[in-house]
Amino acid sequence: MTGARAVTCPSCGGSIEIRAAGYTVTLGCRYCGSLLDVANEDVRLITAYRRAAKNFAIAPGARGTLFDVEWEVIGALRRRSGSAIWQEFLLFNPYSGYRWLVASDGEWQFGTMLLDRPEDDGLAVSWRGRSFALEDDAEIETTTVIGEFYWRTARGDKVQGATFANGREQLSRETTADEVTWTQLIPITAEWVSEAFKVEQRHMPRPPRPDLTEGFRKAPGMAEDDLGKMFLVALASLGLILMAQVFLSGPRVCSDGRATIEVGAATSTHRIGTLEVRRPWQLVTIAVDSDSFTNRWVDLDYSLVNRRTQQSIDAYGIVEYYTGTDSDGPWSEGEHHAETLIARVPRGTYDVFVDAGSHGWPTDPPPGSIDPANPWGPGETVALWFRSCTGGFSWGMFWLMAALLFSVPGLILWWRHRD
Amino acid sequence: MQSLNCPSCGAALPVRDPGLPYSTCAYCQTLVRREAGKLESVGTVAALPADVSPIQIGTTIAREGMAATVVGRVRWGWSDGSWNEWFLRAADGRQLWLGEAMGMYMLTSEYSAVLEIPAIQNFAEGNPMARDCTVKAAGKWLTASDIKEAGCLGSEGDLPFPTLPGRTMTNVDFRNAAGDALSVQRDADGTTAWLGVWTDLAGLKPGNLRQIEGWTMPRALA
Repeated sequence: MTGARAVTCPSCGGSIEIRAAGYTVTLGCRYCGSLLDVANEDVRLITAYRRAAKNFAIAPGARGTLFDVEWEVIGALRRRSGSAIWQEFLLFNPYSGYRWLVASDGEWQFGTMLLDRPEDDGLAVSWRGRSFALEDDAEIETTTVIGEFYWRTARGDKVQGATFANGREQLSRETTADEVTWTQLIPITAEWVSEAFKVEQRHMPRPPRPDLTEGFRKAPGMAEDDLGKMFLVALASLGLILMAQVFLSGPRVCSDGRATIEVGAATSTHRIGTLEVRRPWQLVTIAVDSDSFTNRWVDLDYSLVNRRTQQSIDAYGIVEYYTGTDSDGPWSEGEHHAETLIARVPRGTYDVFVDAGSHGWPTDPPPGSIDPANPWGPGETVALWFRSCTGGFSWGMFWLMAALLFSVPGLILWWRHRD
Repeated sequence: MQSLNCPSCGAALPVRDPGLPYSTCAYCQTLVRREAGKLESVGTVAALPADVSPIQIGTTIAREGMAATVVGRVRWGWSDGSWNEWFLRAADGRQLWLGEAMGMYMLTSEYSAVLEIPAIQNFAEGNPMARDCTVKAAGKWLTASDIKEAGCLGSEGDLPFPTLPGRTMTNVDFRNAAGDALSVQRDADGTTAWLGVWTDLAGLKPGNLRQIEGWTMPRALA
């Protein structure tokens, strides 16, 4: 009597030999991947697929000898938990029953279903007098099914899988609504597996990244798929902020003024413009340009005085420019331009004043010294041109928002790629 | 071995266990009842589907000093599969069932004492059995882990009950951490209880196993 039973795939018409006839319940067609119910004489199509996954480390149908028993790989599953993906091969010998070969993280395990079950005592189990500590307890999803299996299985099947370890030996507990299955897993070298079966190295599940990244990727909400979304959300938010800022900045009305101040003299007050704020609240920008002094600074205390209430809004600015020569050669610092942004100016008409005072660096020029450019003038002066405008775009705020929005996804990206 | 002839096709009908009332003709699938030396055809049994069980009629086992021989088989089907139950006659006259599942074996002998347990009495009266129901049998606690409604798919050899198509039964498997097994079966004839162990094939110290085409019998079992 022949051991195998031949069936025809109702989906693709392919002829398939059932190796474990009498035990096999579910068959994943090796030609088209369709799932078939072969529990009874009539083959029933459960789910049709168009393509069988071929990229398993060991091809179903392969035979090899492990632990002095010849095994046939009759089924293969690809499963995943979180971001970990691995392959499981169902081995069969009619005289020895079923075993498992599990390929994960570049390593192999040989699995035997347990008839005597471990005794549970919280975070550890005891089995044959030894204690196994809980390592992992997570949902496992089956993503690919090829070959034959003695239970009902399908793509998308989910079980709760717990792993208990004692050294490199593991006990795996899989819980479904119907039953609890225990399997003993012992490590087996890749060389040993390769001697028994033809192993396609390029189809081996990839070794893991370092533990820290692994943990990070497994953290809730940190699944790999989320990162792209996070960047898109950040970008979209930034776009909205940009539009809001542009909308809030207008309308733009400007007023010009100028002032000339004496270096080293006491601060003097100048009216440098009039502004009308027409919206309930607006930004006001005061830009200043100076003539080209060196080694001087000008302190600028601005006041926006509301004509109706005489209340004042104050802000500060500085123009400074220094040059010199040191061991690295000539240097310069500062510029002859400055901008001051005043946030939240309420509706109203304002006179813009500046209290300006200029000083020399490292010391003020001596009083009465003659300005070589204007030997008959009243002493060295700095000329300042002001432009006060309602509205204004806060680039500082924009970039701060950008930094905040992109910091989390950016940090994750860096974390993943830093090795 | 005493031999009779099938009343339907005339083929030889070996009597493997004269104490058993039913025998399936290997040639025409006729179910024959043997009673007081009379042979009577009671129907036709479905042909057994092909399988790769290493057990066959005539396979011997030895466990804990007890030797037994397989004399018959019934195959049960349920919604998600099917399994073999092999009937054995021990040298001491005891009757044993050897159930095959997942490449493993459940060897049991009749243990009627548990039928007195209220939960099992309740089941015997036709009520459903609660999963996780725990009972004590021969000093061992066992928990109901598997409850199946099954229908007869076919038979061979000598058996204690008729195996015509349409026969159904409800089977409850109890097990425990030590690998003990209790099987309670309810059918039209009543309820029986069977106590034993789960084991792999090697644990049965089998002899006269079936030679399966394409496979080499492991030396330890040959």
